Amino acid sequence: MSRILVVEDEQHQRELYAMELEDDGYEVEQASNGKEAVEKVKNNKYDLVILDIRMPEMDGIEALGKILSRDKKIPIIIYTAYSNYKSNFMTWTADAYVTKSSNLDELKNKIKEILSSRSV
Amino acid sequence: MINRRLLIQFLFYVPDIILGSILYFLHHEDYFSSGMINYIILILIVYLAVKVLLHIWVYKVFVINQIESVRRYIHNFKKGKFSLKENELRGQRYLSEIINELTDVGRHFENMVASQKDEIDKFKEFYNNIVLSVSSYFLVINQKNEIIFANKSFSTNFNLANEDIVNNSISDLFYFSGGKIADAIENVKKKGESIVLRQTRLLSKNRIAIIADVKISRITMQGENQIVLVMDDITSKCRKDYQISLISQISESIQKDDEIDRVLFSILTAVTSGSGLGFNRAMLFLYDLASETLDGKMAVGPDSIEEAVQIWGAVQGEKIDIVKKMEDYSPGDRKGGFFLEQVLSKHYKYTSDALFVKVLKEQRAYHIKDAWNDTRVDPDTREFVGVGEFIAVPLVAGNRSIGIIVADNKYNHAPIWQDNIELLSIFTVQAALSIESCKSLTTVRNQMEKIKLRQDAIVESEKMAAVGRIAAHIAHEIRNPLVTVGGYAQRIIQTVNKGLKNPESIKNAASVILKESERLEKILSNVMDFTRPSPYIREFNNLNEIINDTVSLLQNVFQERKITIQLFLEKEIPLVKSDFNQLKQVMLNLVQNAMDATPQDGVIKISTEIDGDKVIIRVKDTGSGIDEDHLKNLFEPFFTTKVTGVGLGLAVVRKIINDHNGEITAVNNPEGGAEFRIILPVPI
Repeated sequence: MSRILVVEDEQHQRELYAMELEDDGYEVEQASNGKEAVEKVKNNKYDLVILDIRMPEMDGIEALGKILSRDKKIPIIIYTAYSNYKSNFMTWTADAYVTKSSNLDELKNKIKEILSSRSV
Repeated sequence: MINRRLLIQFLFYVPDIILGSILYFLHHEDYFSSGMINYIILILIVYLAVKVLLHIWVYKVFVINQIESVRRYIHNFKKGKFSLKENELRGQRYLSEIINELTDVGRHFENMVASQKDEIDKFKEFYNNIVLSVSSYFLVINQKNEIIFANKSFSTNFNLANEDIVNNSISDLFYFSGGKIADAIENVKKKGESIVLRQTRLLSKNRIAIIADVKISRITMQGENQIVLVMDDITSKCRKDYQISLISQISESIQKDDEIDRVLFSILTAVTSGSGLGFNRAMLFLYDLASETLDGKMAVGPDSIEEAVQIWGAVQGEKIDIVKKMEDYSPGDRKGGFFLEQVLSKHYKYTSDALFVKVLKEQRAYHIKDAWNDTRVDPDTREFVGVGEFIAVPLVAGNRSIGIIVADNKYNHAPIWQDNIELLSIFTVQAALSIESCKSLTTVRNQMEKIKLRQDAIVESEKMAAVGRIAAHIAHEIRNPLVTVGGYAQRIIQTVNKGLKNPESIKNAASVILKESERLEKILSNVMDFTRPSPYIREFNNLNEIINDTVSLLQNVFQERKITIQLFLEKEIPLVKSDFNQLKQVMLNLVQNAMDATPQDGVIKISTEIDGDKVIIRVKDTGSGIDEDHLKNLFEPFFTTKVTGVGLGLAVVRKIINDHNGEITAVNNPEGGAEFRIILPVPI
């Protein structure tokens, strides 16, 4: 069972993703900001990280760098309401960049895609 | 004639010789007989008779004639002729000596009289000169207002012969339209007290206009009352006095003026006003660079002699306040007036050889004394001006001719003197500068207008850009709640679709949707606050009240976050014209910002103070201060350093303060923390 870390400051969204992904059979953990996410990655092993960008304390960009410096291979999907961070080269180091939508299918497909390629 | 005298003397002795000869013969022949004595007596008688006749004849010929000559001489002497005909008293040595002596005496007297006459003439001339030089005019009139005497300077100045003056009534010589002088004369006749009329305008029937101090007094001559009028001509003095103030007055008032028509009108009013340059008519043409024509722009002057007399009479004894006249002028006044219409319809091509174009090109004044015969005047101009003498002066600003002024004395036909021309030339320099500055002012104003339009366009596009930014920002800002709403809605549908009976989950999802909808509404109302047009502010509020209100509203939050709030409020703070709720919004936003920046146990200080005609509100915190890079963007819409902020808080604050004609600034305090300072004007 793959372990996924959802990093999202919006409580309702975070909970929604957790519920949806658990329904799909993933093990989900949550972090409400970048700092928390970096802490969790330090202490736990995850198969994938879903990372929001605009967050208090530490934003997604900074967290992305810190997570990757600890574990270069961990797959990261950036999931944000803003499309303009695509132009920020820091986000290029992530495995995918998905714009938030009320339809979670795109996100779910991306997770499936990445995890299956990794398991091979 | 010596022969004639000898002959006459000889004739005297002819009877004596005859008598002697007879007596001799008688002696020899001894005729002295008694019978002969009778003959001898007879002969003697004849002799005596002849002798007497001879004497009588000689007397008649010589003495009577000489007396006649002397009488004639005396007769001539009486008439002042002292010459003696040479042949008349020839031979009469004594007589002629006497006569010659008399002639000398006569000549002597003649010289004496002649030299005295010279003295008298000199004296007369001397007095005449004095009278002329003081330029006073003397008129003596009788009870019937008929002129008995007028001095030479009067007749010279008014260009009248003595016979045109004497025995004419004074009202035959002058237009007394104001009636002031006629009244004064009647008053003096009745009461006998002298009257002085200062700065009186006089216009003679042959249209010579002067300004004079007129002294009217009564004298008695041979039992009859007579009136003496002494006029001191102060026309030129008035003109010069006026000229000095005129130029400064006109230019001062023109400088304040930006209505080109009014400036032109003022200039021509100065040229035509009686106490100004005093021309009857004046017209102004300006050169149009674009069309290359010299166009009639303005004219001032009466349309007819009747109107001219009326104007002249109306201003009698009054100073024309040109500035007043100018202020009364409105561009609408251009309507009407045949003369003005005529001038406005005139356009001369720069390439034409019309006189006015010549004046413009050569930058030289033309004084035309006889337009009818002067070949420099083209036929069209001759007909247009319709007067023999006129002057055309260029308007030169810098080195450039910008137009011309034409002036004439169409109605009183007064000659244009050199000093009139000089004054006009001086004046046109000032006038040209005024026109030029007015034109540049108009240009600047037009440019300003254009710039303003452009600015408006920029503001408009800026607004559009702002709208774009708002749209982009809203798009992002509402995306999160929308995603949440959509996601939970999806979840509800899935729950239902799967037939799961899980009301708790559905209720949970619905409440999230509700909360997120509320958040969306809040975001939108924030945006609306910013874009809403500013209200019309009419209340007066005490800023301290607004601050107290805000602080009490946030009291619980302060306690929760353990932040201390300190107020330093000026008790005597004046009321400020403001919108209570808007200013409360400002304070809320600022205090909230301060709270966000202030750590636990921090302090927020709010103070009010008076600075002249302004009040100052300061909000200080003990937070981390503002990043120097952010200071300049702080009040821009959608600028935020907060992760969850919309970025409108301070933008709204600035908008409200600007709507209140105030200022807001943000600085970092040297001792740490940020300070926001609001300055609001106090209504006077």
